[in-house]
Amino acid sequence: MHILPKLVGALAVATALTLPALAQTTIVAPGQSTTGTYMDYMKTVYDRATFAELLQVPIATFDKEFELTPMAAESWSQSEDGLTWTFKLREGLVWSDGEPLTAEDYVFALQRAATSGYDFAWYWDFAGGIKGWKEVTEGTADVSTLGLTAVDDLTIEVTTTAPKPYLPSVTSLWYPVPKHKVDELGDDWALNVDTIVSSGPFEIESWEKSNNAVVFTKSDTYTGPWQAQIDRLEVDPSLGAPEVGLPAYLAGDTDYSFLNTGQVPVAMAAEPDGIRKNAVFATSYISYDLESEPFNNVDVRRAFYHAIDREELTSTVLKDIAIPAGSILPPGYPGYNPDVVAQATFDPEQAKQFLADAGYPNGEGFPEIEIWIREEGGYNGAIIPAMAQYIQAELKEILGITVNIRQLPGADWMDGLRGAKNNIFIAPYEYDYLDPSNFYGIFFNGGRHNYFVPEYDALVAKADAESDWDTRYALYAEAEQVMIDQGLIVPLVHPITTAIISGELGGEASTPNALGFTPLDRLGHYFFTHLTK
Amino acid sequence: MLGFILRRLVSVAFTFIAVSIIIFLMMHAVPGGPFDANDMPVSEAVRAKMMAQLGLDQPLYVQYLRYMWGVMQFDFGVPYQSPGESVLQLLSRAWVPSLVLGGLGVLIGAPLGILLGMAAALNRNSWIDYLASAVATIGLTIPVFVTSMLLILVFAVWLKWLPASGWPHPERWILPIIAYAAIPVATYARYTRSAMLDTMSRPFVTVLRAKGLSEQRIVFQHVLRNSAIPLVTVFLPMFIGTATGSIFVEAMFRIPGLGAYFVSSIETRDYPLEMALMLMITFMYCIAYLLSDIVYALINPRIRVGGAE
Repeated sequence: MHILPKLVGALAVATALTLPALAQTTIVAPGQSTTGTYMDYMKTVYDRATFAELLQVPIATFDKEFELTPMAAESWSQSEDGLTWTFKLREGLVWSDGEPLTAEDYVFALQRAATSGYDFAWYWDFAGGIKGWKEVTEGTADVSTLGLTAVDDLTIEVTTTAPKPYLPSVTSLWYPVPKHKVDELGDDWALNVDTIVSSGPFEIESWEKSNNAVVFTKSDTYTGPWQAQIDRLEVDPSLGAPEVGLPAYLAGDTDYSFLNTGQVPVAMAAEPDGIRKNAVFATSYISYDLESEPFNNVDVRRAFYHAIDREELTSTVLKDIAIPAGSILPPGYPGYNPDVVAQATFDPEQAKQFLADAGYPNGEGFPEIEIWIREEGGYNGAIIPAMAQYIQAELKEILGITVNIRQLPGADWMDGLRGAKNNIFIAPYEYDYLDPSNFYGIFFNGGRHNYFVPEYDALVAKADAESDWDTRYALYAEAEQVMIDQGLIVPLVHPITTAIISGELGGEASTPNALGFTPLDRLGHYFFTHLTK
Repeated sequence: MLGFILRRLVSVAFTFIAVSIIIFLMMHAVPGGPFDANDMPVSEAVRAKMMAQLGLDQPLYVQYLRYMWGVMQFDFGVPYQSPGESVLQLLSRAWVPSLVLGGLGVLIGAPLGILLGMAAALNRNSWIDYLASAVATIGLTIPVFVTSMLLILVFAVWLKWLPASGWPHPERWILPIIAYAAIPVATYARYTRSAMLDTMSRPFVTVLRAKGLSEQRIVFQHVLRNSAIPLVTVFLPMFIGTATGSIFVEAMFRIPGLGAYFVSSIETRDYPLEMALMLMITFMYCIAYLLSDIVYALINPRIRVGGAE
């Protein structure tokens, strides 16, 4: 009599215990680019295959509160003079083919980057400040002179040209390259699923090159921190466009999707609990060719600085997709300084006065200008064209200046920026590593804008090397004051991205951080290893 | 006939060479190169090395001759955006989904359009005729990405009858095929209707009627055949256009096809792939028009290819 309920109970418990073990958890996610060349982040950042970095374990990385967390490294230390860093790797890390992962694989990754083409040379020169980097990338010194040594299998030594107190945060983009595979196959090891090996929490199962869709599986061999909690991750970059992603999400074909401006209110009404916002650490700003008319005149630049009503801009045309930017640094970013931000006021009278001081009262005699914007996808695609039109109308109304807008493909825009083929641009920039030197570096000693402002460069160089963090931040604020006084840029907006995620997703990565933001795949390693379903 | 074909083939060769030169020059006239697209500049030394590896440091005419020499041996180079395979390998893998979906779209859409056009012509000014013109107008005027989005919204999101997008499983092909078929249905309905009405007003149809032939025989044996010329003219070019993939349809339905490469090869300055795609399209259109001309002669003996021989 009593045995039946017990049997049923036991069966139920047994089923409950076995089912999750048997069921494969698969997450389908949107990717970013439908083209990708190498499944190797350290070969090419911009043209890499979908989420190539997920396959490898970085030295360190960030969690959702932007705390730096050791990954391949167990610990690190800085020498007395501040010039040498020693990274100790964890024991027992291996490649998916069983070969041990060693310090040599990390050193080799950067040696190859410096010598054979890699669109992040600037990063390791400026951000990393690795000794000899510039000379090696320019081809004037041998790769052996780089300040990188594999002391033994588990110890890496990095020597920098000046103290770089933030170097550990730079290593969040330092992934290993399997030297044993490159010795055997050259860079082509990263072109074929059969020859690709991984060192991180995921392995690769398949790669559809026509749309750069990739299937990852949980690694069997990874022993480091942040093990994957899902079995499979299918990433399809075709889902990256919200126009495709949201219908697919509603039809149950993907677990989350990013939203465009028009979709935000619809999605908010349909699934308010599924909405996730993220303030991307990114800034759009106006930059100039400082050498040519009329922007070689500081008063003209100052006039533009005060002629933009960021509040109106972000509450109308950019509602829900951007917030005002008063500094090159976004809110929440280290070194963010409210005193700097407070100066970026909308002041039409002052703007007119500056323009009059420059010799163009009410815009009289001011040449017709053409502002160059870049064809963008993602969040920038929604923001920049609309913003350009707003600025066009505002400059006409307030300063009496006629502005034309020209949108160019990425390559042409960049070519124009670097070659000073135009005199005014709207430029977006998203952070690469979490330190003010990242944003200030884009204008440092040429940077990406060909800006050479000695006063600014001196302050940034000093701040970069300063090991006292309060003093550092103060020096960066001084550097930004130079930018403001000389009107080097006009900070415009910081983007906000919005996504809708399925109620089936769980885990720490699916909920907002202390600032109320959910960075999702912007923090790929954290996100995909802290997600459950 | 043989002489005609040979002469046409020679002119195809000249067209091919002319197009290749024009495309090559235009392609290189666009500023920037394959390594300029990114936020972070590649160092000059590295860039020079990569350009030399790809032969891009050579004078243009050398690059052109080298490429065309390869083409003559069916070597179209290696695509910059997909190293590790040849252009031909890329085309043969990416073309499959486009050919299947676009091809089926035309092969299903064209006969449907012909039937619709016939029904309209035979029932002129009736509700069938009006319905056919409505379908044709809608099919031609609504952009394909809008049609695609509506199809997904209705059949995948609201009714949940079909999956929204994706490639490998045939149930995911249905919606894109419908999207592709919209234009052939519309085009064929219009062409068939007007061609048939035109033929039916000719004196010979009256003669046939007077002879006492059944309406069915008149329509199927005489009218349709005599109305076929415009239908043949549109078929092959339409097939080529559709079966090489639409970037919109493929993006909306997440199809790993050829469509996007037409744009990405230009954007990324992927010279070998861009050239190959253009040459392929040129070649196919040349052959398509040649075939159309031959078919004309077969279906209408009054047309003799090769002029007054």
